[in-house]
Amino acid sequence: MVETDVVNRIVQQFGGDRTRLLDMARAVHAELGHISEETVAALAKALDVPRVEVRDMVSFYAFFFREPHGTNVIYLCHAVVERMQGADDIARALEEATGTTFGASDPDADITLRYTSCIGLSDQAPSALVNGVPVTNLTVDDVPELVAALRGGRDITRLRQAQVGNDVRTAGQVIFAPTERGAAVRKAVTMTPDAIIEELNVARLRGRGGAGFPTAMKWKFCRQAKEDVHYVVCNADEGEPGTFKDRAILALQPNLVFGGMTVAARALGARKGILYLRAEYEYLLRDLESELDKRRHLGLLGDNICGCEGFDFDIRIQLGAGAYICGEESALIESLEGKRGAPRARPPFPVEHGYLGKPTSVNNVETLCCAARILVEGGAWFADIGTKDSTGTKLLSVSGDCTKPGVYELEYGLTVLQLLERVGAENAQAVQMGGPSGQCLARKDFARSISFEDLPTGGSVIIFGPERDLLEAMRQFTAFFAEESCGWCAPCRVGTTLLEKCLQKILDGKGTFSDLEALETLGETVKTMSRCGLGQTAANPILTTLRNFPILYADRVRSDDGVMAFDLERAKEECCSVAGRAPATGEETP
Amino acid sequence: MSSSAFLDGVAHEIKDGESLYDFIERNIGKGTVPTLCYDSRLESFGSCRVCSVEIALEEEGPRRVVASCHTPVTENLYVFSTSARIKKLRKNIVELVLTDYPHDLIKGNGNGDRELHEVVKQVGLSEIRYAKGETHNDIKKDISHAYMRANLSKCINCYRCVRACDEIQGQFVLNMHGRGFDNRIIMGNDQGFADSTCVSCGACAQTCPTGAITDIFDSMAAPNAVRKERTVCSYCGVGCNLEVAVDAADNILSITAPSDAVVNEGHTCLKGRYAFKFQSHPDRLKTPLIKRNGKFEPATWDEAYGFIAERLTAIKEKHGPDSIAGISSARCTNEENYLLQKFIRAVIGTNNIDCCARVCHSPTALGMQMVYGTGAATNSIDDIKQADLFLVVGANPTDAHPVTGAKIKQAVMKGAPLILIDPMKIELAKYAKYHLALRPGTNIALLNIFTYYIISEGLVDEDFVERRCEDFEEFSASIRTIDIHALEATCGVERALIREAAIAYATANNAMEFHGLGVTEHSQGTRTVTMLAGLAMMTGNIGRPGVGVNPLRGQNNVQGAADMGAQPHQGAGYLDVTQPAVQQKYSEFYGRPVSSEVGYKIPEMFDAACGGKLKALWLMGEDVVQSDPNTQHVIDALSNLELLVVQEILPTETGKLADVILPATTFLEKSGTFTNGERRVQRVNAVVPPAEGTKTDGQIVVDIMNTMGYNQADYDPDTMLREIAQIVPFFAGIKWDELGENGKQWPVTQDGKDTQILHTETFKRGKGKFYFTEWKESVEIKDNRGKFPYILTTGRKLEHYNCGTMTRRTNNAMLLKEDTLVIHPKDAKKKGIKTGDMVRLFSRRGEIKMKSHVEKLVKPGILYTTFHFPDQMINYLTSDVSDGDSMCPEYKVVAVDFEPATSTPNEQTDEPKKMSATKQASE
Repeated sequence: MVETDVVNRIVQQFGGDRTRLLDMARAVHAELGHISEETVAALAKALDVPRVEVRDMVSFYAFFFREPHGTNVIYLCHAVVERMQGADDIARALEEATGTTFGASDPDADITLRYTSCIGLSDQAPSALVNGVPVTNLTVDDVPELVAALRGGRDITRLRQAQVGNDVRTAGQVIFAPTERGAAVRKAVTMTPDAIIEELNVARLRGRGGAGFPTAMKWKFCRQAKEDVHYVVCNADEGEPGTFKDRAILALQPNLVFGGMTVAARALGARKGILYLRAEYEYLLRDLESELDKRRHLGLLGDNICGCEGFDFDIRIQLGAGAYICGEESALIESLEGKRGAPRARPPFPVEHGYLGKPTSVNNVETLCCAARILVEGGAWFADIGTKDSTGTKLLSVSGDCTKPGVYELEYGLTVLQLLERVGAENAQAVQMGGPSGQCLARKDFARSISFEDLPTGGSVIIFGPERDLLEAMRQFTAFFAEESCGWCAPCRVGTTLLEKCLQKILDGKGTFSDLEALETLGETVKTMSRCGLGQTAANPILTTLRNFPILYADRVRSDDGVMAFDLERAKEECCSVAGRAPATGEETP
Repeated sequence: MSSSAFLDGVAHEIKDGESLYDFIERNIGKGTVPTLCYDSRLESFGSCRVCSVEIALEEEGPRRVVASCHTPVTENLYVFSTSARIKKLRKNIVELVLTDYPHDLIKGNGNGDRELHEVVKQVGLSEIRYAKGETHNDIKKDISHAYMRANLSKCINCYRCVRACDEIQGQFVLNMHGRGFDNRIIMGNDQGFADSTCVSCGACAQTCPTGAITDIFDSMAAPNAVRKERTVCSYCGVGCNLEVAVDAADNILSITAPSDAVVNEGHTCLKGRYAFKFQSHPDRLKTPLIKRNGKFEPATWDEAYGFIAERLTAIKEKHGPDSIAGISSARCTNEENYLLQKFIRAVIGTNNIDCCARVCHSPTALGMQMVYGTGAATNSIDDIKQADLFLVVGANPTDAHPVTGAKIKQAVMKGAPLILIDPMKIELAKYAKYHLALRPGTNIALLNIFTYYIISEGLVDEDFVERRCEDFEEFSASIRTIDIHALEATCGVERALIREAAIAYATANNAMEFHGLGVTEHSQGTRTVTMLAGLAMMTGNIGRPGVGVNPLRGQNNVQGAADMGAQPHQGAGYLDVTQPAVQQKYSEFYGRPVSSEVGYKIPEMFDAACGGKLKALWLMGEDVVQSDPNTQHVIDALSNLELLVVQEILPTETGKLADVILPATTFLEKSGTFTNGERRVQRVNAVVPPAEGTKTDGQIVVDIMNTMGYNQADYDPDTMLREIAQIVPFFAGIKWDELGENGKQWPVTQDGKDTQILHTETFKRGKGKFYFTEWKESVEIKDNRGKFPYILTTGRKLEHYNCGTMTRRTNNAMLLKEDTLVIHPKDAKKKGIKTGDMVRLFSRRGEIKMKSHVEKLVKPGILYTTFHFPDQMINYLTSDVSDGDSMCPEYKVVAVDFEPATSTPNEQTDEPKKMSATKQASE
């Protein structure tokens, strides 16, 4: 059987290593187009693992087809920003041009249409992945040409739209400043591991993923964990809707990323590093691999790095397969081990018990770049940038209703309003700071500063103009979380779907005061009781808009007897009591 | 006070590594924290979040909500488990869960959903505020399997079934499919239980809190049960405790495993849990039968007793007491075994009493007695938790001793290395670090090499040997003279691998040995046991937790049958019958003179019957025709008797040859004690009264004793144990009322104290003795290999128990329908056979036909099969070669050959044939 032969060959390529199951499944999928039950059985047999274990993994990731599909696959990004920019029109045009509908293939099995969540191109929306190739700034008029090109078997990479602009609007002094390849590593080999960690401590570097954990402390804990093997993992699973800053770093500054990983390896005593790259960024893989080769060639990776006896370190790149939750560090580790990306219970923390049970430091792409820069420029230099508790610069991915979307490297401490002025969005109704898992800010919050002290963010900034239906956007965000919930714990698995349903009911004009109450209780329950960060933040779009935009809800609900007789003041009080804060008095909504 | 934490304002001591959940439950009582996904036997999972509590670092500090099941308690932590906030959140979560649960079931109908309903009540949920949204209520029910049932509409995704399958049984049948709200449980191929590798252990059904996974008996809910009784399983020697649900009309409804049972901790296998329908099977024998003119005729008990007593008395008068023999049953209680041997010894006046230990673990008893002084397992099953390495020799525990097998498998999966010495690629082979797949019949050869390397590598625990053992010098000198190259060729395992394994065994901190019939059922069986016992001594792996030599006893009470004296050379309590003092002691105790002549062992009984010396045989529940080797010889022997009495519950092959059949009760209908493989004497409690027309085996023996003029009180475990305690030294402190739910491990001293580990200070015989044995080729192979070049070895399958008399009359028969012959692909190709083909399999003694199964489970040249079905009757082929020391038959090595069969299997008209019965009998 073909499946068995392909599977056996691929399993052999990976040395029959069960922990590389995700890679094997990806390779089999690439070759056979989908992963059938026979393929699952063949993988299970070749690896001598239970069949349900393979199926459990395969069924988890969005990019694995389980059935045969069209020769070409169009994944149209259908996230909030993309829909704001006309993705729904593109979808209709695609359906018309192909004669099929989303979720299906055309009769000739030429083209399969699928929706996908954010693919990291919100600055160039609407966008799609066509056979893995990013196609950006799509217009309805582009669609017939694209479909014709696919049907004609032409090389779509030559299309005008198949270009990704880097869109770095502001280059700062940390990430996008000119870099000399290997500078950080050469510095690192002259330092002791403790000195490296101390340098980060002086810099007061905090993790750029959003949580802001001090990097020096993370590395110290990992280094102190008594084990023979340690791992460095770079989290390039940039999945938060509206964020694309890592895309720019990986394209423009890969040497800084790998330099940061190598510095981490020196600090932790790690011999192996893994960069976990989201599947949506597969088009960056070739250049990243070539950068790795160059570094090996220059002695910046491999044995005795920079002539430093016994400093052996190399990096491999692991591609994901479509799961937002894998951006969570312990889920990422599970995925690296070839399993479904379900977060682990903590403790133990990855710094003690991470990849393959060994101490592992998982760091954001941007954090590692900062670490590399700090080694070259010094911790004190870095600490001078930004604010007291938020040193350095922050990359912001700005998208939505603004004139200049793109990547901005700005010093911490900037106010929201300053940012909005810079990006051409002074009249914004609301700003989704930190993506859906962050908070939805009203104008009253625009004087707040982007910093760990005030408004921490992973970098996603989505701007909603005055005309947008904000609550519809929140419903879409909530639906996104329901789609991406791993399903491990009850509050997130059931609660996110219920949240979305409840909000939908309100948007449909069928909601009553008691639905609003239910929404609050439900949101609090999901936030408080969920097992990991996804569930704990999944209710944020609703909870923060309930707090900041109570009138929008008030406008949409009916009293329980069906008459529009809503007591606004009471609703505000309710909302405030849920949020645990006093009613705001200043400018509220336009 | 050592370190402590505050629970709802009160300081309590904390234990190292304890979770918040355990901390709370330990201090304020079990069941106080509601939970849906927690099962104390499983790793904490944290999926339901219902057990959440608030924690704070300071009394008035900010509080955080965490799941108590997987959050460790830390010093000075403030824990709030009953705050208003927590109560509300718990209620909210359960409400969420119920939005995707069939609403009509929420009120509760006791349909296996009890745990969920209890939690609903516990959190005080009375209504669901959310409109009925998307649900999973349309998932099709799975009714594909012989026992297991799934109705996943009721699933709440707690993963308990998945974890029970993985962490208790280690079968990995269940898992999750998809993600988020679309998550659903799948089994195997996603086609249901039938199309999966499910072993029907029922662990998933037992742990499911909602009744989404159940079984055909709906065991956990047992809706029609009026009472539940605890007893002990009557299949293998693990000794699982069972809880049996009974309805108002005394019908057995279902069986579950009590979670507080020390032996099985809430787990059991498909035999113990589900294979009980034989008890109410229409085939049950319900009246005594006397054969007249070749036909069985129903008789009253008095007629039958009269008939037997008259015949026995006549035979005894004419031919003497030694012309009468009895075979006791390892399936019956201690008290019944004691009674039968007493009947034979005191009433008949002969030592011709034996039991099926003869054909299984008699070499273990003898070998371990020779080395240590006691022939029983040195340690407890619970010691598996403390072992660092396992040596499993000639045993297939995951099939034959499933609960112990699962425990070993779990320990090995967690990292303890396993050395497996077995010719078959059994399930454990997959997990073994070293699988020494030797040629059947070469245990001694391999173990000599194994021992050689321990000595030559200098890994002997000299201090232990010096203090506790004797004869090591001679032993060691002999071992050093062996020709390892020749022995390597003999056993067919590379000596480098044996060396590695030997080093691993000798250097492990705690190495625990298990062995089975692959050790004993050989011509050098007893000697192999002495080697294994010696290995433990020379490496100091004996007399402490997590080590020892542990025979996996095949039957529920094979330990007890021997303890009670159902053997021809030792009476109750292992006293040597040839010693005048012993003879006097027994004679005085029984009030009748007993013999000091060693009696017949089972194979000798058959020979004596064929030779005309044995005239009458009493069988208590033993199907010797199907289970003993060389069937034709057995049939010839039984046919030559003047009187054959069979006590049985169901028709058997042996029963057909009986003169009188006495209908007995099953274990579910009697009380007494069974002694499991770790010397644990446990209470068997009659769950229902004896089926109409039947009597307990014990009462039958009592009746015949009285009929023959010996005054014996009616069968009653309490009074019987009082009698036994006076004569069996290690039962001195065993009292019916004091055994409790989990029994006691012998020796039990007068004050009731029991013993988990033997030989802690000294060996029973004083010093442990080493025996060197040279490997010898079995006569069976030497004589027959020219004509019969293949070696057939036999074993058991999970689904069936020995002759299958009981299991074939349950749904287990749907799971495994016949015995098949396992052939290596190379050999199959040579003979032109593929899986499913009928083959003719023949040895010097006979031939049978059976289906083939071609797979690399054995090495080329080796064949394997089981003996569960009378349609195949493999014992037509097996030889009467036996262990030179114990006379245990050599089931494991049979010289055979095979070829494609031309016609259909052995049907009624096509009985298995003997080749030269008369010649065989005269040999």
